Amino acid sequence: MAVQSKNLTRSGRSAVRSKGTSDVSLGDRLVRWLALLGAAFPLVAVVFIVAVLLINAFPSILFNGWGFLYHQSWAFGNFYGNATVTRNGVTAPAGASYGALPFIGGTLLSSVIAFLVGVPIAIGAALMLAEKTPGPLRRQLSFFLELLAGIPSVIYGLWGLIVLGPFLSKSVYPVLSKLGGIIPWLGGPVGSGQGLLTAGLVLAVMIIPIVATTTRDLLAQVPTLPREGALALGLTSWESVRYVSLPWVRSGIVGAAILGWVRALGETMAVLIVSGNGANALPANIYGPVSTIAAAIVALLDSAESDPTRLAVSALAEAGLILMGITLVTNILARFLVRRVSVTNLPIGRGI
Amino acid sequence: MQNDLTKNRSNGQQPAETFPTAVSPLQAETGPAKEIISRVRTTGLHVGFGPREIIHDISVEFPQNQVTALLGPTGSGKTTLLRTLNRLNEMSSGFWMSGRVDLDGRDIYQDFSDVREVRRAVGMLFQRPNPFPQSIEENVAIGLRAHHIVPAPQIHQEVERQLINVGLWDAVGDKLDESPFGLSGGQQQLLCLARTLAVRPEVILLDEPTSSLDPISTQRVEDLVTRLKEKVTIIMVTHNVQQAARISDYIVFLNEGSLVEANWSREMFINTQNHIVEDFLTGRMG
Repeated sequence: MAVQSKNLTRSGRSAVRSKGTSDVSLGDRLVRWLALLGAAFPLVAVVFIVAVLLINAFPSILFNGWGFLYHQSWAFGNFYGNATVTRNGVTAPAGASYGALPFIGGTLLSSVIAFLVGVPIAIGAALMLAEKTPGPLRRQLSFFLELLAGIPSVIYGLWGLIVLGPFLSKSVYPVLSKLGGIIPWLGGPVGSGQGLLTAGLVLAVMIIPIVATTTRDLLAQVPTLPREGALALGLTSWESVRYVSLPWVRSGIVGAAILGWVRALGETMAVLIVSGNGANALPANIYGPVSTIAAAIVALLDSAESDPTRLAVSALAEAGLILMGITLVTNILARFLVRRVSVTNLPIGRGI
Repeated sequence: MQNDLTKNRSNGQQPAETFPTAVSPLQAETGPAKEIISRVRTTGLHVGFGPREIIHDISVEFPQNQVTALLGPTGSGKTTLLRTLNRLNEMSSGFWMSGRVDLDGRDIYQDFSDVREVRRAVGMLFQRPNPFPQSIEENVAIGLRAHHIVPAPQIHQEVERQLINVGLWDAVGDKLDESPFGLSGGQQQLLCLARTLAVRPEVILLDEPTSSLDPISTQRVEDLVTRLKEKVTIIMVTHNVQQAARISDYIVFLNEGSLVEANWSREMFINTQNHIVEDFLTGRMG
């Protein structure tokens, strides 16, 4: 009876009443509504955020057109003069010009560096922890890994600015720069240590914990039987990892790596501090100053608020919309990759 | 009464003419027969994990090119003994041992510079099929490459030869690139056997290799085992007395971690004087 009435409440309250289900208590109904609210919240929140961004970005989209995506100059124009320009019905201060390519490029480049540097280190750390470290030491090392994940990003930024950047620009970048003849982006002046590569490396350190702990937990789930099979065949532990453990959790590791990448895409404070804030051009080489969308929004929002035409804020909203788009595409890509990998290779649940 | 039953059965089903000629019942009572040419031998073997000793002072020989069944009740240490023979126990925490395990006169814990060489020479098939998450071809090729069994250009041909050898080629020859997890349990176990045989082992350890298989797959594995003993020495843990009767030449019987009896199978089935062994073989225990 109780089960039946629960089913009925889903199809309508009148049905419940007609059945006379006084056994559906107030508490039950309250919990059900709370659950519904909780379930609906993410959807509502995403729709709301996208809608607000779209509405705010709309003047900028009209004013800048596609040029927003590929122009390299970012200028608010003169807020205090009377001269204005109008394009597509949108009015802006004279001299206003918005091209977000340096921010988009900085976001993608710094996160790709973080991905390329951080993910292999993280997977190596996870392999070491899961396969080669005895129990007590494993717990302590894992503790530090989780501690690393808990450091506020502004601290990473400070460390990057005060310690890592100067060290790299004095000791590492000059050596790298000599490779410029072979790899074009590595040549040229190395700067002060604030720039694309430093930002990417700080981001790499920041994404290591999340990728490493996820991968470690995945590796711990690889069943003993196939791993023992590898050892019993006389394979080394590295061969066992390469042929059994890693393929076994490959799709999960892809997911973890993308998770790290998404974190790097959206990271704000640390990048703001170490990126060198290059707003109007893509960096000339890998050491040059950059800015990312997230960092630029923070850096520019305050002055943008002084724009009497509100177009400056609108342009930042459009930049934010693009960041959301990149993140969304990355997530979809990750899901696609995970599914593709799992269809061909994930053996869990079959034949074992 | 029990003795009468045993004798009746033995007189009816196990004619004395077919006994292995090399062994006499008298020798069997005093220990392994002298005629055993052993490939694997343990001497004063004690094995334990942490504070628990699982194997107590086992000295036993496993005859060359024969199928030896490790029999005994659950918890008698059969699998632990088996995994000591290819040093797989080393992976378990708290493992310790004393005594010797010899492969052709070389102590596998002392005289081999590399544990990999021990495990290549002493292959193993597990309770359940455990193919690698690689293509069917790779499952066999990995071992060939790791141990440099054949030159790289010949690997594909060698994989084919091994799959034919275990009778799996007809089923998988046209899908070598596919995942092995689409195969039936029996086919997966045969693939694991092909993978093990590919690295040219001298001894193969079988840990209840058919316990997860259907009767037809079981029969295929048993037929293969019987055929393989021409080339390799086989040591098999089994819970299944009928299986031991069908395919084993020699039986090592353990109880609570100690050696109870080791003898040629027919001899043991007919003439055992030990009541634990007799109860087990006749199905009153186990």
